[in-house]
Amino acid sequence: MSKKKTEDVRTDVEQDLLKRDYSIGEILKERGVSRRDFLKFCSAMTAAMALPASFAPRVAQALDEVKRPTLVWLEMQSCTGDTEALLRSANPTIAEIVLDILSVDYHETIMAAAGHQAEEALDKTIAAFKGKYICVIEGSISMKDGGVYGSTGGKSHLDRARQVCAGAMATIAVGTCASYGGIAAAVPNPTGAVGVREAVPGATVINLPGCPVNADNLTATIVHFLVFGKIPALDSHGRPLFAYGKRIHDNCERRPHFDAGQYVEHWGDDGHRKGFCLYKMGCKGPATFHNCPSQRYNEKTSWPVAAGHPCAGCSEPGFWDTMSPLYKRLPNVPGFGIEATADKIGIGLAAGVGAAFAVHGALNALRKDKEPVEETKEG
Amino acid sequence: MPNQAKYKRYIWELPVRWTHWFNVVSIATLAVTGFFIGTPFSFGSSASDFTMGWIRFVHFTAAYVFAISTISRVIWSLVGNEYAGWKAFFPCVTAKGREKMVKMMRYYMLMDKEVPETVGHNPLATTAYFALFLLYVLMILTGFALYAQHAPNGIMHKSLGFMYSLFSDQGMRLTHHLSMWLIFGFIINHIYSAWLMDIKEHGSEISSMFSGYKFTVKKED
Amino acid sequence: MAKIVVDPITRIEGHLRIEAEVNGGKITDAWSSATMFRGIEKILRGRDPRDAWFWTQRFCGVCTTVHSIASIRAVENALKIKIPPNAELIRNIIIGIQNVQDHVIHFYHLHALDWVDITSGLKADPAATSKLAASISDWPNNSATYFKGVQDKVKAFVASGRLGPFANAYWGHPAYKLPPEANLMATAHYLEALEWQKDVIKIHAILGSKNPHPQSFLVGGMSIPIDPDSQNALNADKLIEIKRLLKKAQVFVEKVYIPDLLAVASFYKDWAAIGGGVGNYMSYGEFPDAAGNLWFPSGAILGKDLSKVLKVDQGKIAEYVDNSWFENSAGAGKGLHPFDGETEVRYTGPKAPYTNLDTNAKYSFVKTPRYDEKAMEVGPLARVLVAYASGHKETKAIVDHVLKTLGVGAEALFSTLGRTAARGIDCLLVAQQTPKFLDELIGNISKGDYRIHANEKWEPSSWPAEAQGYGFHDAPRGALGHWIKIKDQKILNYQAVVPSTWNASPRDAKGQRGPYEAALIGTPMADPNKPLEILRTIHSFDPCLACAVH
Ligand code: HEM
Ligand code: HEM
Ligand code: NFV
Ligand code: SF4
Ligand code: SF4
Ligand code: F3S
Ligand SMILES: [Mg+2]
Repeated sequence: MSKKKTEDVRTDVEQDLLKRDYSIGEILKERGVSRRDFLKFCSAMTAAMALPASFAPRVAQALDEVKRPTLVWLEMQSCTGDTEALLRSANPTIAEIVLDILSVDYHETIMAAAGHQAEEALDKTIAAFKGKYICVIEGSISMKDGGVYGSTGGKSHLDRARQVCAGAMATIAVGTCASYGGIAAAVPNPTGAVGVREAVPGATVINLPGCPVNADNLTATIVHFLVFGKIPALDSHGRPLFAYGKRIHDNCERRPHFDAGQYVEHWGDDGHRKGFCLYKMGCKGPATFHNCPSQRYNEKTSWPVAAGHPCAGCSEPGFWDTMSPLYKRLPNVPGFGIEATADKIGIGLAAGVGAAFAVHGALNALRKDKEPVEETKEG
Repeated sequence: MPNQAKYKRYIWELPVRWTHWFNVVSIATLAVTGFFIGTPFSFGSSASDFTMGWIRFVHFTAAYVFAISTISRVIWSLVGNEYAGWKAFFPCVTAKGREKMVKMMRYYMLMDKEVPETVGHNPLATTAYFALFLLYVLMILTGFALYAQHAPNGIMHKSLGFMYSLFSDQGMRLTHHLSMWLIFGFIINHIYSAWLMDIKEHGSEISSMFSGYKFTVKKED
Repeated sequence: MAKIVVDPITRIEGHLRIEAEVNGGKITDAWSSATMFRGIEKILRGRDPRDAWFWTQRFCGVCTTVHSIASIRAVENALKIKIPPNAELIRNIIIGIQNVQDHVIHFYHLHALDWVDITSGLKADPAATSKLAASISDWPNNSATYFKGVQDKVKAFVASGRLGPFANAYWGHPAYKLPPEANLMATAHYLEALEWQKDVIKIHAILGSKNPHPQSFLVGGMSIPIDPDSQNALNADKLIEIKRLLKKAQVFVEKVYIPDLLAVASFYKDWAAIGGGVGNYMSYGEFPDAAGNLWFPSGAILGKDLSKVLKVDQGKIAEYVDNSWFENSAGAGKGLHPFDGETEVRYTGPKAPYTNLDTNAKYSFVKTPRYDEKAMEVGPLARVLVAYASGHKETKAIVDHVLKTLGVGAEALFSTLGRTAARGIDCLLVAQQTPKFLDELIGNISKGDYRIHANEKWEPSSWPAEAQGYGFHDAPRGALGHWIKIKDQKILNYQAVVPSTWNASPRDAKGQRGPYEAALIGTPMADPNKPLEILRTIHSFDPCLACAVH
C-alpha cells in the first residue's frame, strides 16, 4: 500500500471516529458473530459475575445498546503476567476483546505503533474520549525519590497514572501489584511501590488482585460496568464481591478432607495423591478471598490447590509479606528465626514460666515465713 | 499461725465463682481444640469423617461460652461487691494500693519474709488479671473475626470490620495462636500462686473459689 | 545530529528505551536503557530459600516458568538434592511448551508487524493467497473462502473507525516488502496463533494449575502428584490431554510457523547482513535426563568462530555497573561474581519528564554482565549456534535445511534475520523433542514409578548452616542463571543474571557495547521519524525488560 493511501485510511478513520458509534451488538453482527454465539458469551459473563442465569437476557440487551468502549492499558512496575492472562482469556477470547468488544487504543505489549507514535495514540485517545474511557493499570507505581524507578516515554509512571486516571470514567487495577503494590512493595520495598489507589487518591479504582489476575474476572468486571452502568459492589479492599466475596477455603473441593481430618503430610504421599487437604503444607486458602476454586484458570482447567500446591493467598493485600513463608500455615513470628514457629516460641515461654516458678517454689519451701500479725492486715 | 484465730468471710459472690469456673473449663476446651486446629494430626480415615469439623464445632461452642462468661463478669464488676468491682483491678491508682503492691512484690522476690495477707484479690494478682482480661478480649475479638470470615459481610463480619483493618488475616491468626501461649503462661503462674498463697496465708485460698469463703485474720469491718 | 529516541519500544515485555544516532541514513551509535526497577533480589534476602521460586517467578509473566526452574535448581544445587526422574521430566515438558508457545507468540504477535503490513492485506486476492498458502504448507485453513473471511473481518474492523492497537503504526512504510497476499496470509495466522497459544499452554495448567505463573514447583521436585488411579493426580486422562496439546503445538510449528517464517524471510534477505551484534554467543544447555546429561549442549562461541565451542565456566561471569544506576563495592571498572553480587540502586539519570538521557553517564537499570570481560549474546541464536557448532544432530539437520531453503550460508545467521530464523529453528527442535519427554514419563508411570519429590532435605533443620549454589536454565530468551547463598536457613544473598540482562546491557567500563547496542550499528533508516528498522533488530532479540532488571 502506498504512503498516500495509508494517510487516506487514517483520515477516514479519524473522521469516522467522530460520526459513528456502533454498539457492541451491532459490531458483532457486522463481524459475522452469530446471535447464538453472542448469547452464549452473555451467559458466560453472567455466570462469571455470579449473577443468576435469568440475568443473561439483560446482559445481552445492555450489550446490544452499549458502544464499543475505549480502553487504555498502562504497564508500570509489572511483570506483564496480567497481560499474558488477558491473552489466555477464553470467554471472550483476546481476539474478540481487541477486535469486537473493546477498542484497546493503548497497550504497549500488543500495539503496533512504538515510541512517539505510541505516545501520540495515547494522548489522542485520552483527549478524544475524556471521561469515557476505561483505564487499566498493571503493576505497582514507584513513589520513592519522586518516582524515578519507573518511567515510559521520559515521563514518570506516577505522572502518567495521574494524567490517565484523571480522565478515565473508571480505573481497573489488575493484579496484586497494581491493587496493593504487590511484590515490589514487599519488605523492604526498595522503590516505594504502591497500588493505584494509594498513588492516585481520588481516582475511581476497582481492584482485581491476583498474581496474575484471573482474566475472566477482568472481562466480567468490564461487562458489569457496561451492563449496569456502575461499578460492581466492592469489599473493604476495593475488590468486587462477585469474585472476591468468599474464601477459597469455603469453596475448596478439598474442604471435605479438611473437615474429615485428612491432610497431606509429605509431598507425593498417599494423601497428596488422593487429593487430601493441603492445610498442613501451608495452604492460605483459609485466609484468602478469591474465586479460584470455581472460576479456575485457563478455561477452567485447574487452579493451584488442584495441582497439589497450597494456595499462596495471592489476592490479599500485602500477601507477599503476610502470607509467607509459603509452606507454613502461620507467618514467622517477627524478630525470631525461620524455624521459630509460634508453637516453639510458646512452648519456650511456658517452659520458662514453669521453670521460674519451680525454682521459686523450691526456694519458698526452704525458708520460714514470718506470720502476719493483726496490724499488718488489711481490711 | 495455728494459734491465731481466723474469721470466715464471704468474699466471692456466686457470679464471680461461676464465671471463673466457666472460664476455666471453656479455656481448657478452647486450648485443647485450638491446639488441634493449629496442629492437626491426620485423624480422619475416610472423607466422611468429621474430626476437624467436630473439633472446630467444639471450639466455637466453647468460644461462645467463654465470651458470654467473660461479658457476664464484666457486668458483675459494675454490680458486685467491692472485691469483685472493677476498682479492685487497678490497685496502682491509690497510694495504699501501690504500697501493698510493693510489699507483695518484695515477698514474691523472696526479699521479705512476711506474707502480706489480702482479703479480696492480692494487688499484684489483680494487675495480672487485668492483663489477662485484655488477652481475653484479644482472643475473643481475633477469634470471632476469624470465625466471621465464613460469612463475609454478614452482621458479625460487619461489626468486626475494625479488626480487619487493624490486622491482616494471617496476623490475626498468629496473634490468636500466640496469645494462647500467653494465657498458658498466666495459668502456670496463677495456679502456682494460688497454691502458694493457700499454703502461706492459710486463708483457704483455693477452696474459696468454690465456696466463696476465705479465712482472714481480720474481722469483717 | 540529535539522537532519535524510541520510548516505549512496544511489543516487548517491559520498559525499554533506545536512543540512537543516525548519520547518512544509517545508525552510527546506539544506547539501550531500561527505565523500570523493582529490586526483587534485595527483597528476597532473609526469606525461606524454598519460597524463592515463587518470588523469582514474578520477575516475568511472559517467560513465566523460567525463573522458577532456575531458582529451584539453584537451591537444589546448594543443598545437594537429587530430584526423582519424573519430576525432571515434568519440568522438561513445562520448559518445552513454554519455549514453543513463547516463540510463536513472539513471531506472530510481537515481531510480525515489523515485517507484515496488515493494511496491505486488504488489497490481496483471496484466491492468490490461497494458492500461496497451499504452495508452502498443507495446513488445512488455506481456502480462498477462508482468506476472504479473514479479509472481510479486517475490513469491517477498519471500517468500524477504531483501529485500536493497530492505530498510528508504520503502515505503508517503504521498508515493508511483502506482497499483499503474504500480508493477508500472515494476518490470518496472527489470529490463528492467538487462539492456538491459549490452548497449548493449558499444559501448564494441567501440570501446574495455571498460566501465567504456574504453581506446582517445589525445591526437590514438583507438587503435582502422579497416580493413575486417582482423580486428583496426573492420570491417564490428563496425560492424554497433554499428548494431544503437544501434538497440536508441534503441528502448528511445522505447518504454520516454519513455512511462514521461511516465506517472510525470503522477502527480507537483506536483513541477513544487518544486525550482527557482538559476535560472542553463550548457551547453558537444556533438558537434563535422569543422569544429568543435557540434550541441548552448553557452550560459548567467541568472535563468530564456529570451529571452537568453549566450555562455560560460571566462575568467569561478573556483573559491572559502570553505566548502570547502581553502586558497587568492587569499585569503578570492576565486576562482582554473582555469589557476591550486590543490588544497590542509585538513580542518577535526568528528572522526568526528560527528552534525552545523558548517555555519557550511567543510563540504564540493567546491569552489565560480562563473561571473561566479554559481552555475550544469548538466546535462540546462541543456543542454535552452540548446538550446530557442537555437531548436535537434530540441530544440524534443521539449520542446514533452512540455510539451503533460503539459499544463504551459515554467516547469514549472525544477523537480525538469523536471530529470527534461529528462534523458529529452536522452536521446531523443542516442539519435536518435548513429546519424547512425555512418552518417557508415561513409560515410568506404567512401571509403577510415581515419585515426584525428594523429601529428605525438605525440612530446613536438615540443612547445613551455610550453603551456596547456582541454577542454570536456557530460557526462551537465553542463558539464565540464579545464584543463592543460604545461611541459617535463610537467603543471605540472591542474584540472577538473566538472558535479557546480557542482551540489553549498557556499555561496560571498557566501552564495549551490549548486544542490542552493537546490533543496531549500521542499521539503515528510511525515515528516522518512523523507526521501523530499529524495532526489527531490537525485536529480533525478543527483549524482556522485567526479566533484565528484576
Ligand atoms: C482462650 C481462648 C482461646 C484459645 C486458647 C484459642 C486457641 C486457638 C488456637 C490455638 C487456634 C489455632 C490457630 C492457628 O494455628 O491457626 C484457634 C483457632 C481458632 N479459634 Fe480460637 N482460641 C480461643 C478463643 C477463641 C474464641 C473466643 C473464638 C471465637 C469464635 C475462637 C475462634 C477461633 C477460630 C475461628 C479459629 C480458626 C479455626 C479455623 O478457622 O479453622 N477462638 N484457636
Ligand atoms: C484456665 C485457668 C484459669 C484462669 C484463666 C483463671 C483466671 C482467674 C481470674 C481471672 C481470677 C480473678 C477472678 C475474678 O476476679 O473474677 C481468678 C481468681 C482465682 N483463681 Fe483462677 N483461673 C484459672 C484456674 C484456676 C485454678 C485451676 C484454680 C485453683 C487451683 C484457681 C484459683 C483461683 C483463685 C483462688 C482465685 C482468687 C484469687 C484472688 O484473686 O486472690 N484458678 N482466676
Ligand atoms: N530475558 C528473559 Fe525471560 C526469558 N526467556 C528470562 O529468564 O523473559 Ni521474561
Ligand atoms: S500482580 Fe503478579 S502477575 Fe501482575 S504484575 Fe504483579 S507480579 Fe506480575
Ligand atoms: S486445601 Fe486449602 S483451601 Fe482447600 S480445604 Fe484445605 S486448607 Fe482449605
Ligand atoms: S495463590 Fe492465588 S491463584 Fe488462587 S488459589 Fe491462591 S488465590
Ligand atoms: Mg540480577
